[in-house]
Amino acid sequence: MVINQIEQKESTIKKNGWLILLVIIFLIAPIFLTEFYLTVLCEALVMSLFALSFNLLFGYMGQLSFGQAAFYGLGGYTVAMLIMKIQFNFWLSIIAGILVASIIGLIVGYFCVRLRGIYFAVLTLAFGQLIFSVVFKWHDFTGGDDGIQGVFPPGFLKSPVAYYYFILIVFLLSAFILWKIIHSPFGQTIISMRENSERTEFLGINIARYQLITFVIAAAFAGLAGAIWVPFYRSVAPSYLTWIKSGEPVMAAILGGPSLFWGPVLGMFIMTFFHSWVLGFTIYWPVVMGALILAVIFFLPGGILGFIQEKVSQRKEMKNRE
Amino acid sequence: MFLQTQGITKDFGKLRAVNNVTLEIEKGDIHAIIGPNGAGKSTYFNLITGYHRATSGKVLFKGKEITTLPAYSRCKLGITRSFQITSIYPKLTVYESVLMGLLAHRKVTLKFFSSAKKFFKEEVWRILEDVGLSDQANTLGDSISHGDKKRLELAITLGTEPELLCLDEPTCGMSPEETDVAMGLIKKFSGERGLTILFTEHDMSVVFGIAKRISVLHQGTLIADGAPQEVRASEEVQKVYLGGTA
Repeated sequence: MVINQIEQKESTIKKNGWLILLVIIFLIAPIFLTEFYLTVLCEALVMSLFALSFNLLFGYMGQLSFGQAAFYGLGGYTVAMLIMKIQFNFWLSIIAGILVASIIGLIVGYFCVRLRGIYFAVLTLAFGQLIFSVVFKWHDFTGGDDGIQGVFPPGFLKSPVAYYYFILIVFLLSAFILWKIIHSPFGQTIISMRENSERTEFLGINIARYQLITFVIAAAFAGLAGAIWVPFYRSVAPSYLTWIKSGEPVMAAILGGPSLFWGPVLGMFIMTFFHSWVLGFTIYWPVVMGALILAVIFFLPGGILGFIQEKVSQRKEMKNRE
Repeated sequence: MFLQTQGITKDFGKLRAVNNVTLEIEKGDIHAIIGPNGAGKSTYFNLITGYHRATSGKVLFKGKEITTLPAYSRCKLGITRSFQITSIYPKLTVYESVLMGLLAHRKVTLKFFSSAKKFFKEEVWRILEDVGLSDQANTLGDSISHGDKKRLELAITLGTEPELLCLDEPTCGMSPEETDVAMGLIKKFSGERGLTILFTEHDMSVVFGIAKRISVLHQGTLIADGAPQEVRASEEVQKVYLGGTA
């Protein structure tokens, strides 16, 4: 047991070592990157936060949401409308974005958590499209298919580099909070629900209640992602709420590995950078992406990060045997 | 009065699975429910643990009516169960699985920012040692033997510190050696922890080996209830169930 503990400590230092190295790379990234790739990096970080929020439901609670973009879009629209219509404070607008996403998440979640599996997925899809339709059709209020343009952050965040650091801080803080939640007793409970919800219910857990709390947390972080993206991109459009947008974190999670915390982040980084690179050659991006996803599902069923982790632990085992 | 069912009935469409069963389970007893296949044992069990709702009749636990309470509320009151088909967490370690029972029971599952691993270490290890699984604490649930899975399920339920433990076929699919171990555990927990145990079982040697009281169901109806000797002596029981072999 003592040896185990020492090994565990060593491995956590190693793991954290990787993390620290990555954070340093992110901190100095603006020195090396062109403005174009800095923008791509910002998008990758925001979309990664979106993917992490989704994976709380998919990877940890075991329910596939196909309407997560609704909350991402609601966060974005709240910020855009508050800033553009009533010149509301930037920071308070972002908090309002999180709140609106959470409240709508509570309402939508109330209905969705009664269902499991494919029924849950279809109902989240339906609600997502419903919210999209409202935003799309309600031209007077939301700007309809025109969206909202000219959403600016406060002066000191106007430069891409400054906003990049803002996004990075929000991402790191959010990832830390989500990490803590997943490893908390609450996280353990939703994981046990994924593993065997009947067993967990017969331990005295009200499954629907815990699913609803998870749904609201996921909606809140998706809302936050949308809320910080819109002032950077200076605009918001109804396409942010569509099922196509909801599909992106699904693909990212499958690509990177849904059972690992950083899996969807890796998936989203690959998708975002690959996307901007492939667009230089062809407009048929979905074909390329489809082929990539198929390859991962067939050859790396645990996702790319899942595959790497498996190889690393196999090597460790070999070493231990020697 | 510990647990009581009053005229409890369960219909599935036109089929009456449990018919007007009135029965009391005394605190501290090891109480077996037996009967041939389709006698309504599992359904009766499910009515007590909240898996099914009764069509009519009442279930009372410590004087409180629980007939319509959902399973998780009954568990909070102190009723926990195991399943006939072993119900564990395949991808959680043995340690994590037992911890889950404790987290649920001690109402810390709404803590969002403290590490789950820091909770109830002593309690988890004590339960693991009690059931003899401490050397497999870090093994995944689906990588242990069938008998160990049954023990793991028992360990998970013990985490909820139940007053009434309902075991649906606790030795189902076990080898004779595993059965002996499981029976030993049940006796031990009944004695040491003062648990009341209600179980269904088809293996008569198990039933007559540990039960202090036996109730016999036949086609959903209670036909005998009493000490093992009385039940064994009952003509009706011999006719419908024991077939004169016991």
